[in-house]
Amino acid sequence: MAAVHPAHGLARAAGFLAVLWCSLASGAAPAPEYQVKAAYLFNFGQFVEWPPEVWTTPNAPFAICVIGDDPFGRTLDDVVRGESVNGHPLVVRRHKDHKEATGCNILFIARSEAARLDDTLVAVKGRHVLTVTDIDGADRAGAIIVLVSVNNRVRMRINVAAAKTNRLVISSKLLRPAEVVGLDES
Amino acid sequence: MDSPAVPIRRKLSRITLITTGAALLVTTVLFLAGEVVAVRQSSLQQLKILNEAIASNSTAALAFDNPDDGHAVLAAFRSDPHIVAAALYKPDGQLFVTYPDDASAGGIPAAPGGPGYSLAGSSLIGVAPVREGERVLGTLYVRSDMSTVYDRLAFYALVAAVVIALALLAAWVVSRRLQRQLSGPILELASTARLVSDRHDYNVRARPVGINEFDDLTHAFNHMLTQTGQFERRMSAQVSRLALLQQITQSIGSRHDLNSIFQVVLRSLEEHMPIDFGCVCLHDSGNGTVSIESVGAASEASCRLLDLHVGAKMPVGHNGLYRAIHGTLIYEPDCARVESPFAQRFAGAGLYSMVIAPLSVESNVFGVLVAVRRANGAFSSADCEFLKQLSEHVALAAHQAQLYGALQRTYEDLRQSQQTVLQTERLRALGEMASGIAHDINNAISPVALYAELMLKEPQLSEAGRGRLATIRRAIDDVAGTIERMREFYRPREATRAFRKLDVHGAIDQVLELTQPRWRALPQERGIEIELRREFADSLPDVVGDEVELRDALTNLVFNAVDAMPEGGVLTLRTQAIDGEDGRPAVSIEVIDTGIGMDEETRRRCLEPFFTTKGERGTGLGLASVYGMLQRQDARLEVDSEPGKGTAMRMVFPAFVDRADSSGTYLAPHATQRRLRILAIDDDPILLRSVRDALEADGHQLQTALGGQAGIDAFAAALGTEHAFELVITDLGMPRIDGRRVAAAIKEKSARTPIILLTGWGQRLLDEKDVPANVDRVLSKPPRLALLRAALLDLTSPHDPAL
Repeated sequence: MAAVHPAHGLARAAGFLAVLWCSLASGAAPAPEYQVKAAYLFNFGQFVEWPPEVWTTPNAPFAICVIGDDPFGRTLDDVVRGESVNGHPLVVRRHKDHKEATGCNILFIARSEAARLDDTLVAVKGRHVLTVTDIDGADRAGAIIVLVSVNNRVRMRINVAAAKTNRLVISSKLLRPAEVVGLDES
Repeated sequence: MDSPAVPIRRKLSRITLITTGAALLVTTVLFLAGEVVAVRQSSLQQLKILNEAIASNSTAALAFDNPDDGHAVLAAFRSDPHIVAAALYKPDGQLFVTYPDDASAGGIPAAPGGPGYSLAGSSLIGVAPVREGERVLGTLYVRSDMSTVYDRLAFYALVAAVVIALALLAAWVVSRRLQRQLSGPILELASTARLVSDRHDYNVRARPVGINEFDDLTHAFNHMLTQTGQFERRMSAQVSRLALLQQITQSIGSRHDLNSIFQVVLRSLEEHMPIDFGCVCLHDSGNGTVSIESVGAASEASCRLLDLHVGAKMPVGHNGLYRAIHGTLIYEPDCARVESPFAQRFAGAGLYSMVIAPLSVESNVFGVLVAVRRANGAFSSADCEFLKQLSEHVALAAHQAQLYGALQRTYEDLRQSQQTVLQTERLRALGEMASGIAHDINNAISPVALYAELMLKEPQLSEAGRGRLATIRRAIDDVAGTIERMREFYRPREATRAFRKLDVHGAIDQVLELTQPRWRALPQERGIEIELRREFADSLPDVVGDEVELRDALTNLVFNAVDAMPEGGVLTLRTQAIDGEDGRPAVSIEVIDTGIGMDEETRRRCLEPFFTTKGERGTGLGLASVYGMLQRQDARLEVDSEPGKGTAMRMVFPAFVDRADSSGTYLAPHATQRRLRILAIDDDPILLRSVRDALEADGHQLQTALGGQAGIDAFAAALGTEHAFELVITDLGMPRIDGRRVAAAIKEKSARTPIILLTGWGQRLLDEKDVPANVDRVLSKPPRLALLRAALLDLTSPHDPAL
């Protein structure tokens, strides 16, 4: 499975963030949406189980990586500051693209990376990385969790087959409020 | 509750019901309490589990702020109807979702409060944190309504109450049945006891019921009844014996003759005890025999079988009576085994058990009471004790009867002797009077008698003069005799007069001849007739007495008989040889008339002197003199009389028993008499002269002295001279110096000079046997020359020359 390059992801996150910032500046309310999504990212750490061998040391950081244009700004940092998952301190890293993004536990693929979505997904395939994106139709491309807006509320669409491919166990509790896809493939 | 009046049935019911009820109640209460605790525990537990599950499920909803998911999760509470409200709060305390969806805000608190479980009213409230990993995502609030649980408990309680009621009912039914088994026999015993006490029938028995303990009780009860029955029988037997004893004691207490007492005792025993044979024997310690004194009426038949009869004597030493005679009560339960002939005699007559009870007074056994029954060993110890007590009573009663008899006899004797004394006193008074009269008359007629006698000896007396003198002499003798008899009313016996054998029939014939004018001539003149019957025995035993007195007595009796038949009748004179009072032969001479008879008063007083029924004609001395005469001759007078039927006067003379002096004569032969010098002393010169004349006619030489002192002086003057007196005749009653002193003075001077005392009381002196000392002979006045001569001859020796 190909690992997502961090620098490449970062670039994408940057582009995504730019778009996000533009939309904010244009008078929309991107900030509350990504505040929610930031909290989602944080919470995923609670409901998804990574195999312990992902971490070499017990206090190795739990990394949330954003590639493309970062839509979160400081929100995500505020959310994860001081928090940890199973003793692993949470850190946020921003990369241009998937090539730069390595050692990530959660990989958020900003919309700016929509063109290179398939490459990114292939790159991290089978490498214990939870891929999260809010690109429409990304679930069909093989992203594990896709955040969609339904009636102005953020909802999850989870591809359990993709999660299995990346050797992650998703808690059934996470599945309850989510829309589950890929069951027939698994 | 503990009142003894509560029947055992109700008590048993109560105990059973209380025990059952208490057990059930405690069980129920414990069960319900346990149930409450358990329900609470389980509710709590359930709530906890539910809370945790729901909390766990609601993490994602809270984490991803998904109220729909929250609602969906909380909707799971629908499965538990007790959960009435629930809510999820965000970590900042803000209400997130509620259950049910439309729950009013009032039921849900605005803030969740601290975690934990608490009970508020009927609600159980649980507050639990919602965690994912270490993160607290929110709070779950749940309120569970416990009222339904409590309803269920109430239902349980109701069910328990019903169960208790049913159990009590069952217990009651069972206890009733049990009671019937338990109290039934007790009630049966109680009714038996009541039956016994009502009817006094100790033969009633309680029936066993087939339960061990009760049968033991029943047997014990029946045994007690048996014993009580025996006791009651013994008691009633004892009571009836006491009653019998009392009855007998009362009966014999009022009787005073032995035979009657014994008869009452024996008949009571035969009838009430009862016995088959009973007799009383008296013991004669003198010859060592017992004699049957009395036999019960019903025992007389047995007597013939036993060959016993009243009066039969049996020696004590040879039969079983010996110990009884010595004061021991003898009980022979089987006479056939006793060797004594007395017991064997009873055994032979089919009488086998015998009790011999001694009759003793002051430890002196005077007889035995014999009670016999046919059967062997038929007398109980109570019977023996009864007979012993009875015998003591009988002995006492018999003793009292004897004492009473003795007392009666003594009283009768006393009464008779009192009467005799009274009669004697009367006669003595009469006699003393008569004696005084007689004294004077005797003195007066003494010269007449002496001179008449002297004159009869004068040869020149004409024949006619001699006849007249003889008549005078007889008349004087008769006067003297009359005077004599007059004094004799009270005199028991004339010692000087010897009795001769009486010619009873001759005397009767003489009297009938002499009294013929009274019983034949005089009545015939008045035209009435008195028939005379002589009923003489062919031969009579010899009797002695004074024939003159017998004639006088008969004359008196014949006169009385004639006087008693003023209308005529039959005069019977009957002689009989009979058995006297003491069993010796006697002669009865009866004078029987068919006249007017005597009433009781007259019969009782007829012998009293001066008692007469003849008015002026009677002297009242007739029967009195007869009575006195008969007493002197050891004879007695019996009077049978009935008013209107006549009177029988019976003189009973004891037959003659040969006595040496019986044929003695009282006139001494005219023996040769010396001529004596005699001093005669008297205060009566006429008497002195008559005595001197009479004795001088016999050739004696007499000197007289008028008065006692003159006599003593004359005797003293002559004493020692040739004119000394060879004999002194002195009167007793003289003024100043009486005959006794004269005699004493003369004897003092010349002890050998005989002294003859002449006295008008001469017979009395003789009677009283106190012939004065110094007096050699006492002669009564008028002195009969013959007696005087005899005395002179007797007192002086014919050959002895005078001193």
